[in-house]
Amino acid sequence: MKHPLRWVALGVAIIVAAFAVVLAANVGKDPNADARTSKLTGKPAPAFTVEALNGEQISLASLRGKTVIVNFWNTWCLPCQNELPALQSWYAAHRSDPSIVMLGIVRDDTDAAVRDYVKTQKIPWTVAFDRGSKTALDFGTRGQPETYAISPDGVIVGSILSEVTPSILDQMVAVAQGT
Amino acid sequence: MRAQVGVLGLIIGLVGAVSGVVFLGLGIRFREHVHVVWGRRAVFVMLGGAVLAVIAMEWALLTHDYTIKYVAENNARATPLLFTVTGLWAALQGSILLWALILSGYITFMAVRFRKRLDDRLVQWALVVALSVAVFFFLFMIIAANPFKLVSGATPADGTGPNPLLQNHPLMAFHPPMLYLGFVGMTVPFAFAMAALITGRFGEGWLEDTRRTTLIAWGFLTVGIILGAWWSYEVLGWGGYWGWDPVENASLLPWLTATAFIHSVIVQERRGMLRVWNLSLVIATFCLTILGTFLTRSGVINSVHAFTESSIGPWLLTFLGICAGAGLALIAWRADELHAPGRIDSPISRESAFLANNLLFTGLAFIILLGTVFPLIAEALTGNQLSVGGPYFDRMTTPVGLVLLFIMAAAPALPWRAASGDVLRRRLLVPAYIGASVMLLTIVLWTRDVETVIAFGLAAFAFSAIVRETWVAVRSRRRADSTNSVLALRRTVAGNPRRYGGLVVHTGVLCIAVALAAAGSFGSKHEVQLDHGKSATVDGYHVTFKGVHSERSGQKATVSVELGIHKGGRSLGTYAPALSTYPNSATAIATPSVHTGLFEDLYLTLVSSPNQRGRVTVGVARNSMTLWIWLGGAIMAIGTAIALTPTKRRRRSPDLEPDDDVDDELAEMAESEVPA
Amino acid sequence: MSRRAWAWFGLGVLVVGVLAVALWPRGHESTAARAHRLETEIKCVDCESLSVADSETDTARAARADILERVRHGESDATIRQAYVDRFGQSVLLKPATNGIGLLVWALPVGLLIVGAGGIVLALRRWQRQPRMKATEADEELVERTRAELTKGRKT
Repeated sequence: MKHPLRWVALGVAIIVAAFAVVLAANVGKDPNADARTSKLTGKPAPAFTVEALNGEQISLASLRGKTVIVNFWNTWCLPCQNELPALQSWYAAHRSDPSIVMLGIVRDDTDAAVRDYVKTQKIPWTVAFDRGSKTALDFGTRGQPETYAISPDGVIVGSILSEVTPSILDQMVAVAQGT
Repeated sequence: MRAQVGVLGLIIGLVGAVSGVVFLGLGIRFREHVHVVWGRRAVFVMLGGAVLAVIAMEWALLTHDYTIKYVAENNARATPLLFTVTGLWAALQGSILLWALILSGYITFMAVRFRKRLDDRLVQWALVVALSVAVFFFLFMIIAANPFKLVSGATPADGTGPNPLLQNHPLMAFHPPMLYLGFVGMTVPFAFAMAALITGRFGEGWLEDTRRTTLIAWGFLTVGIILGAWWSYEVLGWGGYWGWDPVENASLLPWLTATAFIHSVIVQERRGMLRVWNLSLVIATFCLTILGTFLTRSGVINSVHAFTESSIGPWLLTFLGICAGAGLALIAWRADELHAPGRIDSPISRESAFLANNLLFTGLAFIILLGTVFPLIAEALTGNQLSVGGPYFDRMTTPVGLVLLFIMAAAPALPWRAASGDVLRRRLLVPAYIGASVMLLTIVLWTRDVETVIAFGLAAFAFSAIVRETWVAVRSRRRADSTNSVLALRRTVAGNPRRYGGLVVHTGVLCIAVALAAAGSFGSKHEVQLDHGKSATVDGYHVTFKGVHSERSGQKATVSVELGIHKGGRSLGTYAPALSTYPNSATAIATPSVHTGLFEDLYLTLVSSPNQRGRVTVGVARNSMTLWIWLGGAIMAIGTAIALTPTKRRRRSPDLEPDDDVDDELAEMAESEVPA
Repeated sequence: MSRRAWAWFGLGVLVVGVLAVALWPRGHESTAARAHRLETEIKCVDCESLSVADSETDTARAARADILERVRHGESDATIRQAYVDRFGQSVLLKPATNGIGLLVWALPVGLLIVGAGGIVLALRRWQRQPRMKATEADEELVERTRAELTKGRKT
């Protein structure tokens, strides 16, 4: 070795190699993977009040004691349109269950488009507007569609930050009801 | 047909590059001229292959040949002509093809420029290294990123068209090619540096051989980066020109090390010192261009720019490893012989200023590199994700930038070797007082923000110093030749174009520094809601909503609003910010409309299109001194061109190299003979 | 002090004075200013690397309104930042926190610059200690002669 420059070169080589390993380990990994599950899981759901299509104000407090499925969506997002049939079929199977409430919250959309969509798609569950995206922000949503399950005592027990399926909904409800 | 021609071009390029390496290798080994000549011919074959492939791709784009996957993904029948042509570099595979073409061009330039020195082992090894890099890029394209890959299944009737952001503005024609001319150009000094290490000829020869090319590549890179900032401002519509986006940072890193290199090269030329440092700098610059390409293309870090494909990453990373590893190994091998006996005589001298310059530029590069890749490192070490964004970079780079500004002001006035108090006083005291006065003026008139105050003061200091240096030299020249000032100025600059070109570049940097400081402290952002025909006043600007315009062109549906702008009773014209939607993209793309003023821009955006009642929301922002960034960039380009002009030998003393010391001495002597 | 020294001293006084005025602590940061500063530190989650201050997406606007409201309510910077971290994770902060691994990204560059500067200072010292070459009589003569020649050449 002898010359000090060789030690410097070796040091630099080690740092560069370590750096290359870090880069290599991350190739192919999705940088957005952080956003798969909600950070609020296990924490109390943020209080919210949203305005339903018929003008009625719906607050989370008023839904206490029930299992609440909150689905964030809007009319122009393609995955939302894709998951609609799944939501429809799941809701049809559970609509007679009084302990479950389904709430669709719309943000970043126009009132007219939403009313139109609800009418043509015959959406039977409650749809409400999130004016100014406040509720979406409180829930920490990064986009849509996102679905959250809130237990009867107001805790977020499950979430899916992409398109939902009936089996996922069943799982979330099971956790919420402690079964 | 076109795809086959294209692939043929790629193969010819690869064959040319490989045979070039082989023949030159044989020439080096057996020292026979005939091998070297064939090696040189192989370079032209490689260039031919690259040109053929590019022609094939442009042909395919212009004829909308959708059997080729790349064309189907980056072109549509309705795409305008300009953006069809620029489709060559719209996405990953095409931009690698452009890289290969430019690289072939630079290597051909090397082969032609050094044709009389082809038996020189330094030149031979440099060509071998450069050709090896070309081999990589051609191989990479043929195996991993083939631009001529065919569509699987049926040929689509129409293509999807380029990314909407890439067909919004004619700048698309200039920004990527300029940037690549810069990046790829760094291969030449890299090749010579490696050759210098291999042949053991690490004196100043390789520096002299590559000086011009490095400066040309640096000039292109500077212009490319400024154009990118302009694009961000005029096209992307978020109101800023630099977002500390990972890809933006990746383009800045090699620029920073190249700038350090341009300065420290001068120290090696004069004093023979810093040999290892310069070799390392140029190798690092080249590696950073590859790293930048890797970060952009591999999707490792989220970015507005990144166009990604997962098989690319491993290839580029391996190549990066080989280049960095080879460079380090060569330096380690030659370690004993690299030490030069030079020394620096005084801490206050131009050499020391250049040392400080290098430390700070390297520091900046380190900060930006660390900040850009830190999310990856943090995740690797802790598993958590964190972000490093604008606030970090601003906070860390601003102090370093301010110190650099100070050094830039003082250094051209510092003599080589050692500065006496007398010289410092004569050259710097008055400019320093001017700078301090501007600081005072800033506080009194404009703002108390300490960073802006210091930046303005230093810029004034630097500008006064530059003016003084130039003026003294022009004046002595005018007396010596008994001519007018204009001619004297031309002769002064022609007599030492490196110095005066450099001073012009510094002036450009000053403009940008002032603009950055002003942007941080001044300006405002508002939103107004306007009904048709109504006006609002924002910070002295009177904005009237005159009309709405809807348009469909090709794939684009655009809504624009006409806004009449008045200031102080005078009309500034009608501006039309717009929102565009494309069928294959859910979000709308905002196109800003900008009124460019000398000291202030009025930046108008359409935040939301007219609602049912015809009301629009318009963003009105005042941006301070943005024009000075583009002006500064243009001045830097002019300065680079000046620095590249050949030196005119003086009439009286044909053997004298332009020497700042002698210039200064003579100027001072002439000065001191004038009766007070 | 000599006149020359006074000139530099005056400069020093002027610069220090101006800096003192600039750095003098001013009153409270206004609500709007504080909100804006926090907005530049929170990432817009819909975008690539923009802050909520710069972005125009719906989420960003909601976040700006939310931050302004919190600032008006008197919530501290730390509380506001924590509220966002709770909902979006650590990566929503554009300025990495100084506790934990984030400290590295702040400390390493500073460390490097200090080490680099120290290295240069040490090298300069080493060079200073080496004996200087002294010009001989013959050298001085040569320099004078050349200078004379040059000035003569220029004047004709």
